[in-house]
Amino acid sequence: MIKLHPETPMLSSFVAGELPASVSVIIASHVEMCSVCQQEVERLTLQAANACFGESNVMPMAGVDSVQIDDEFGSFSLEAELDSNELSMLEAITGMAPERDTIVNTAVVEDKEIEVSGVRFTIPRALRAVEMKPFQGLGKLSRSRLSLEDGDIRTSILHIDKGGSVPTHTHKGFEITLLLQGSFEDEMGTYHAGDFIWLDGKHTHQPVTKTGCVCLTVSSNAIRFTKGVSQLLNPIGQFIY
Amino acid sequence: MQKSDGIPHFVEVNNIISSQSEDQVPAELSSWLTLVASQRDKRAFTAIFTFFAPKIKRFGIKQLNTEAMAAELVQETLSKVWNKAHLFDPSKGAATTWVYSIMRNASFDMLRKIKTKNELLLGDDIWPIETEEHSDSEVYADHLMERQMVAYVDQLPEAQQLVVKGVYFQELSQEQLAKQLDVPIGTVKSRLRLALAKLKEQVGESHD
Ligand SMILES: [Zn+2]
Repeated sequence: MIKLHPETPMLSSFVAGELPASVSVIIASHVEMCSVCQQEVERLTLQAANACFGESNVMPMAGVDSVQIDDEFGSFSLEAELDSNELSMLEAITGMAPERDTIVNTAVVEDKEIEVSGVRFTIPRALRAVEMKPFQGLGKLSRSRLSLEDGDIRTSILHIDKGGSVPTHTHKGFEITLLLQGSFEDEMGTYHAGDFIWLDGKHTHQPVTKTGCVCLTVSSNAIRFTKGVSQLLNPIGQFIY
Repeated sequence: MQKSDGIPHFVEVNNIISSQSEDQVPAELSSWLTLVASQRDKRAFTAIFTFFAPKIKRFGIKQLNTEAMAAELVQETLSKVWNKAHLFDPSKGAATTWVYSIMRNASFDMLRKIKTKNELLLGDDIWPIETEEHSDSEVYADHLMERQMVAYVDQLPEAQQLVVKGVYFQELSQEQLAKQLDVPIGTVKSRLRLALAKLKEQVGESHD
């Protein structure tokens, strides 16, 4: 059961296409796993479409009775409403040859599976076009960076093996973790597959996993370890996130 | 108000246009899309274009900042509407929501390209636009069929080729064709009949 979801304002910005690519990708990955947010996204998309194009009072139609376009438009010229730029754009579009080839690209999506340290997991569909760098290991941690080129924001897939942990750390910017598989615990509770965990600089945590887990992480800044000896590990912060 | 055959339709279309400023979505939007899908109907598309273009432009200016990029977004979005109308499923939601998704995805990829010079297109993966799962293989079969038909058409005598291509590929009426080829309409009809009979034969043969 998923307990943690992106908050509604974040989902609205997501639907509006206003968030950075990496944040959009991790939210989309959560939405794939979460039926609650799927419905919410559907509702917000309808709302955004209405705000942009006006309210549709029409109920979705089951089918279309043959509409006689000839009768409907008579000899009236709709083109009269358009300026010359728009008219030439209209001409350019309707002059295009049927572009059916591109449809083949949307053919039924096959799930992409990946194996790391003997664990198999499915890559979220939102990420299937994104190049993954090879996994690099450090103790019980393995990390693969995703080539998203999103300014300072880094996106990674992180695998923590059974019994592994990340030393107590804090985040200078923000860190989003989406648990793709397995579970982990920290001071605030236990997390399960699908949970969407947003942390900012105010939070300090020390995730531990008994079962092992795979996470998608997006973070705006390298994490910093805060406790005693762990501080010596700060370069690892760069490694993990 | 005057009453004659043409006038009520005139008024109807006129209302559609004037109501746009009041942000009411024409009830016919879904049927126009269906017409574009089934017949590549240019008048239906013109109506769609007239409704959406200014609104997409407004959205584009807000998201992409420049007039030129906004115009590119209009073109990109409405080209997809023209080419992918057959993927719109009126039973699944409003036409405006469908167009919004196409527009938002295109705008997202354009913005990303400006910011990061990255060519990777992510929009359609982040916000998948719903299509029926099985529609793709059907469309693909259609596409293969279409390619095969083109090959058959090219084997017809030239006079028949012209007629078939005019009617089916350029969507000219038989009257327009007769004028263009400078032959009586009866000739267009008989050439078309002959050509279709030949094509049927060939398609039948290859399928046996
Ligand atoms: Zn959710």
